Amino acid sequence: MRLTEDKVKAWLRENKFPVPEGAAVGSSSEASAIAEKLGSVVVKAIVPTGRRGKAGAVHLVDTPEQAAEAASALIGRDINGYSVKEVYVEAKFPIKTEYYLSFAFGPRAPKVVVSRHGGVEIEQVFERDPDTIVTEDIDPLIDIKPWDAINLWERAGAEGAELARLGQLTAQLYSAFRDADALMIECNPIAVDVDGRLSLVGAMMEIDDNAMFRHEDWSSEGYSFGAEGRILNEREIAVMHANEMLPGGALRYTELDGNIGILMGGGGASLLQHDMIIDFGGRLANHTDFSPAPSIDKPLAVLKAILENPNTKSLLLSFNYLQLLPCNILVGALCEALRQRDIDTTIFPIVVRVFGPGEDEARTMVKEFTGVRYMPPKTSLDEAVKLIVNLTNEAVAGRSIS
Amino acid sequence: MSILINQSTRVLVQGITGSQGRFDTQYCIAYGTNIVAGVTPGRGGQEVEGIPVFNTVRNAVDETAANASVIYVPAAGIKDAVLEAVDAGIKVIVALTENVPRHDAAICVAAAHAAGAWLIGFNTNGVISPGDSKLGGIGGDRADKLYVPGRIGVCSRSGGMSAELSNALAAGGYGVSTCISMGGDPITGNVMVEYAREFETDPDTDGMLFYGEPGSENEQGLAKALQDGEITKPVVALIAGVFQENHPAGLSFGHVAAMIRSEDDSASAKQKLLKDSGAYVAYRLGEIPQLLNSAFT
Repeated sequence: MRLTEDKVKAWLRENKFPVPEGAAVGSSSEASAIAEKLGSVVVKAIVPTGRRGKAGAVHLVDTPEQAAEAASALIGRDINGYSVKEVYVEAKFPIKTEYYLSFAFGPRAPKVVVSRHGGVEIEQVFERDPDTIVTEDIDPLIDIKPWDAINLWERAGAEGAELARLGQLTAQLYSAFRDADALMIECNPIAVDVDGRLSLVGAMMEIDDNAMFRHEDWSSEGYSFGAEGRILNEREIAVMHANEMLPGGALRYTELDGNIGILMGGGGASLLQHDMIIDFGGRLANHTDFSPAPSIDKPLAVLKAILENPNTKSLLLSFNYLQLLPCNILVGALCEALRQRDIDTTIFPIVVRVFGPGEDEARTMVKEFTGVRYMPPKTSLDEAVKLIVNLTNEAVAGRSIS
Repeated sequence: MSILINQSTRVLVQGITGSQGRFDTQYCIAYGTNIVAGVTPGRGGQEVEGIPVFNTVRNAVDETAANASVIYVPAAGIKDAVLEAVDAGIKVIVALTENVPRHDAAICVAAAHAAGAWLIGFNTNGVISPGDSKLGGIGGDRADKLYVPGRIGVCSRSGGMSAELSNALAAGGYGVSTCISMGGDPITGNVMVEYAREFETDPDTDGMLFYGEPGSENEQGLAKALQDGEITKPVVALIAGVFQENHPAGLSFGHVAAMIRSEDDSASAKQKLLKDSGAYVAYRLGEIPQLLNSAFT
């Protein structure tokens, strides 16, 4: 879950980290009132995306009138695909020097990245001046000690009185990163003024969705993303909530721009069949990842979403040999969803390839829906995939399938 | 016969009194696994399926000399469960829990490594040495049909796919020495190349089959070991998830781990890297036996 700047700054402030004074506001009059108090300010669009400067979403202003103008120019505008509802009005920090600090995860352990060049994209620094970047794995049994952090900063070329402050900040921020179950924190820049005071002027943060059970307060704060970096739509949100609220194995649902709806069991088999559908010339309306468990609730929730998606023109239900979720429960969910959505299965192709306990009953259940193809035992993944691609093409071309 | 587990492995089950733990334990015992103890705090002194239950892993180890553990504990408790097993000196730990918080996973992995313990998972359905023993839900009640004994070592990022891989092997006349569902979460205790090294030195394994996905650096490590000549037995690899490359970076599909972070860890980059490093790359399950045939001629 990605947090917007106002939430990150509020969190940093709560945890006693130095951040410029600022507030989120939804109108130009409020922006003006804040600027009255703070003097020169930065007015920034609150959207869950980086590179706001390039998108023209950051305005530096000196008077309350200018702050109001900047706010009204930004509110309601579209920035990188997100409609701006609020702006963040923040005191301009008198920057003398800028540093870079981030924590993220490598393949097995958290990593820290520091650089004495802040305020620019770290990729650019990496190209031009790689010696000023120091990256290290963090041993999670030890964390980062202030003296180890000082050593990192020293190697990155920081010096003088700032060294001790940066070291201490880095160790403290790592503890906060860990306690918040963050996947990523990027501070760019950490600014220092002429008096040597540090301030976390730029800050981005992503929280681990899998750790929400420890952070219920976060759950309404951030943005979760679907395909192509867009915010989840109503059907995806409904499935996300169903996943959290209902019993059973983990369930994920992401809509894509094709027309074949799929519900497949097991992450690996889902990937493989998805590749095969593309190879056979099909395009998917969604991707799902579902760990089967003996309950009808989750399959029903995701099948409803798939059938509600206006782009879905067909459905493939294909699982590995079912162990924990009997076929009759899974297919029962399908029948219920078809009834609820009043799907005409004579024109909407459905291929079912589910084998295991409850299979006989499942085969009987689908008989009420003319046109549903329940594949015979031992049908390979390839055959089922080929069939759904062909049937979908025929259905889209307007031919009857039964 | 196998790597990591065999009939003399003394297995304890953390969370044995839960429905999943109880269910899998029945099938493991029926398959021949030497399950010696269960652990559920507060249920010490009871029995499940004839297996004595203890309050702590330490007690179970002291009483039964257990040396491997299968863990059925929800994500909120998995860190403590793994650390408890490590602390009690368990050397093979199977953590079935999926979607483990990343910080917890990193701590567990570091602790297991420091203690010299194998950590299989997170998000695994277990490990099986066909005809001998199995840990976890792998194969369910049909393990003998799904996993034919043989001389190919199998290691899969996906639990469900491990059955498909073994099926594909059986269809071509091959069998499995040990099949490991190594875990599908972003962080797993041990990585592909470590399993490859075990298969390399196992006298009962002639070749290896790996299933991989986008994300993680598992295949890169395996490729390097092939290049360095560290792995000399034939390696067949099937990498799914090429379709993700049609979508912008950062998409989360399949297992949580299946997340493209760079060109380097996409499915097609991994296929190419492994091929260039001397592995046989399969694009369909049906190609696996043919590739093994050509490797062995």
